[in-house]
Amino acid sequence: MSIQNVILKLQEFWAERGCYIASGYDSEVGAGTMSPDTFFRVLGKKPWSVAYWQPSRRPDDGRYGQNPNRVQKHNQFQVIIKPVPEEGQMLFLDSLIYLGVDINIHDIKFDEDNWASPSLGAWGVGWQVMCDGLEITQFTYFQQAGGMELNPNSLEITYGVERLAMFLDGQNNIYDLEWGNQASYGALKLEEERQFSIYNFEMADIDMLRQVFQQYQKEAERLLEHQLYLPAYDLLLKCSHAFNMLDARKAVSVAERTALMGIMRNLSARIAQKYIMQTEGEDHG
Amino acid sequence: MADLLFELGVEEIPAQAVSGIRDQLKDLFIARLAQLGINYGEIECAASNRRLMVHVTKLPEKTVNKEETVLGPTKRIALDEHGLPTVALKKFCEFNKVKISDVVEIETAKGRYLGIVRVAGGEYTADLISAFIPEILAGLTFNKTMVWNESRVPFIRPIRNILAMFNNKLLALEFAGVKAGNKALGHLLLSDSFFEVNSFKDYVQGLVKNFIILKEEERKSKILAEIKDIELELDGRVDIDDTMLNYYVFSNEYPVAFSGSFEPRYLSLPEEIISAFMTHEKKLLPVYDSAGKLSNFFVGVANIPDENKKVSRGNEKVIRATFEDAQFFWDMDRKLDFFSLKPLLQNVMFQKELGTYLEKVGRLAALVDLLVNETHNEPLREKLQKAAFHCKNDLLTKMVREFPSLQGIMGGLYLQEAGEDKIVWKAIYGHYQPRGLADEKLVDLGAGILSIADRMDNIAGFVGKGIKISSSKDPYGIRRDANAIIKIIIDFKLPLDLDPLIRLAVLNFSKKDSDMKRDCETIRELFVSRLENSLKDFWKFRYDVVNAVLGKDMLTVLDTFLKATALTKLIESGLVDQLAALQRRLKNICKGFERCNFSEGLLKEKEEKILSDVFKESKSRIDDLIIQKNYLQASSEILEMKLIIDRFFDKILVMDENESLRKNRVALLQRVDELLSGVADFSLLVEFKPGERI
Repeated sequence: MSIQNVILKLQEFWAERGCYIASGYDSEVGAGTMSPDTFFRVLGKKPWSVAYWQPSRRPDDGRYGQNPNRVQKHNQFQVIIKPVPEEGQMLFLDSLIYLGVDINIHDIKFDEDNWASPSLGAWGVGWQVMCDGLEITQFTYFQQAGGMELNPNSLEITYGVERLAMFLDGQNNIYDLEWGNQASYGALKLEEERQFSIYNFEMADIDMLRQVFQQYQKEAERLLEHQLYLPAYDLLLKCSHAFNMLDARKAVSVAERTALMGIMRNLSARIAQKYIMQTEGEDHG
Repeated sequence: MADLLFELGVEEIPAQAVSGIRDQLKDLFIARLAQLGINYGEIECAASNRRLMVHVTKLPEKTVNKEETVLGPTKRIALDEHGLPTVALKKFCEFNKVKISDVVEIETAKGRYLGIVRVAGGEYTADLISAFIPEILAGLTFNKTMVWNESRVPFIRPIRNILAMFNNKLLALEFAGVKAGNKALGHLLLSDSFFEVNSFKDYVQGLVKNFIILKEEERKSKILAEIKDIELELDGRVDIDDTMLNYYVFSNEYPVAFSGSFEPRYLSLPEEIISAFMTHEKKLLPVYDSAGKLSNFFVGVANIPDENKKVSRGNEKVIRATFEDAQFFWDMDRKLDFFSLKPLLQNVMFQKELGTYLEKVGRLAALVDLLVNETHNEPLREKLQKAAFHCKNDLLTKMVREFPSLQGIMGGLYLQEAGEDKIVWKAIYGHYQPRGLADEKLVDLGAGILSIADRMDNIAGFVGKGIKISSSKDPYGIRRDANAIIKIIIDFKLPLDLDPLIRLAVLNFSKKDSDMKRDCETIRELFVSRLENSLKDFWKFRYDVVNAVLGKDMLTVLDTFLKATALTKLIESGLVDQLAALQRRLKNICKGFERCNFSEGLLKEKEEKILSDVFKESKSRIDDLIIQKNYLQASSEILEMKLIIDRFFDKILVMDENESLRKNRVALLQRVDELLSGVADFSLLVEFKPGERI
């Protein structure tokens, strides 16, 4: 199955089950979790169901286009349901069946894997879902975000689109995948992977990254004083990407890592509080 | 008579937690049944990652009636001088919800009391059980909990189903927002979500029909038998350790072993990398060929039968991709100049408050310097110091960043590839070994020395930071580090007094004098207790032998071990009785005396002069034997003096009226006792019959 068909089918499946189909966020994010459609909406009391396709950047995962399985920009399909549906696990298995997986002949396992994002003040409990040994999905019950206990909790299902497509298509190499209508993953992405790997590991200007981190941070803090938590969150995402780039360049010392993580955790907590204050009134302030 | 069937259906519990939860559940059930006085036949508890089952047989419909006496205050306190109830009695009645008129006088051995006699029991067992099951579930403890629904009840993973039947009838109970019913969870993949249950027999049949093997032992033997078949088929051998077996047993309800293969070209990767990536990363086991070499086959365990080989083919692809990653790391890392990584260690934190790894390797080099002196391995100094300086560089390699359990090993392999001296790379390669007392003996002395340095630095750091360990808590593995040091010393027979090493390790963290003294003392105590424990529990020396050889003021591990070995031989030869009797007698007579001065001029009688002469003549020889650690020979030479000592005891009155004579005789006996104590305190050995083991 092609990449675009995996995405289309998942959109269809989750739309039928009451999810609103959002677009992926248009700023660099490390994972679907970082989109405002997840970060803000898991907070507070209001029910929420969303599904979206999110291209995600992990600069350190670059392999110069030479690894059959790993890329610095991959695609996630993210589902958030709040409150947690009782039949979440079964819904997920149904989605695999809908994609054409015969669950009677493939070994699907829920293998302990708890997720945490210190910079977002978020963590959850759950599993990586393995299909014949291949990790295809992260399945998580959110416990905390923005440093706040969540009540009700949300279920997060994050499919690895490339992994799923490789499994469904029987491909060994990501670049041999079909994106859709004869366009191959390799033709579309190989050069991007090569150039960005060089950029991420060798060329990115470390001083510039440090400077922009500080500027984004200042701007976010300024915006927070004006209750503009949405743009402030955008700037936090930019800080996070700058940090990941610095990390890929191995430019972050111990002390600096602690400090930068602290700045981001602090920002995310303040942003989350502003959101709760405005949307849910004083009883959650 | 009735039986209870209870099954808790849970979303996948982490494999390593399942058996512990099952055992807790069983203990809590047993305790509660006992507390409520409910008799039963058998209790069985079984668990997989998706369910916890309790089955109790031969339960009564109702608990037995019995009279119960509740004592209140003594009569004197309960009634005032007019015979009227006091506040104490009123409170007692209030608490027990009875009227004053229900109170009777009760005669006891301790005196006359007021109290009540009432009939307890006769309650419906089903009601009691429905009430206590939720309490038991709430009483389970987990390392990490979560919440998922409105009930906000914390548990290890979401509860999806409760089956609870007493006497084949549904029990009304609810926990974490889930109501009990008469259905059980099916197999995740091979059956419907639930199956109906109307009796225990039904349940057992339902499990079979739904591909659920409930008992740990049955899953285990199925896995082992199928792996054996694969071994025969491939003419190979699979090593399966307890951790992996446990993982398989508790991550599958219908475990099926399968095998697969990969392209032989990946076998050019170092064996350590291949097996580490397979087992830890992908939960697959390597297969060794009949010559004991790693083959290009692997074994895994699935939760379904693999008749179409889909699982096997899928895992083959995954392992290939994993090896591609390994190959990428291996190739990238080898492009680095390994030695040039050292300064970058300033970016890697060893532990909060304990500085960076760059600081740590500096401390290790100093410790290694002391160690080569103390163990008379001066020729290794230069190379082992080089190894110490660079032993943590591999923390900066892609391979170790991705896969921390390969630390040390990778540093060694990268340096071997780079053509580095054998002593240097082997020391780095093995310096995280041994992981425990039961590990195989280290082969490389340099690795042993570096390992001692690394672990002593850990211990000094954590103790200095104020980390306390207890029988249940040792978050930084301080005890394991101490055990490893003891094992290395014994395996390599290193003549190493730990005291100077401890002092330097503590000093390395530049402590205040008072803190330094305290830390050294804590570490010493740790080693004394670890040494005592490992000699008894691991090396299986008799407890009295260990007590006899364990000096509290000396921390020479090897001496203690060799003394214990010598004593054990003396016990086997039957000679130890005489030594024990001798030393007991010596200690008995000298009891209550400080150490006295000895003067040859004060010797009067023939027998004491002979003993003094023989002692003088033997002492230097025996001291030499002790220095050479030949404790067996030293003991038998002391034993040769026994006849003369016996004669001394027969003929000489130690407690002479003349104080200086008395003290001089005691002094002579004290010298003999001290000589004997150079081997052990034989007086601490318990009486035994020859050949008898305690």
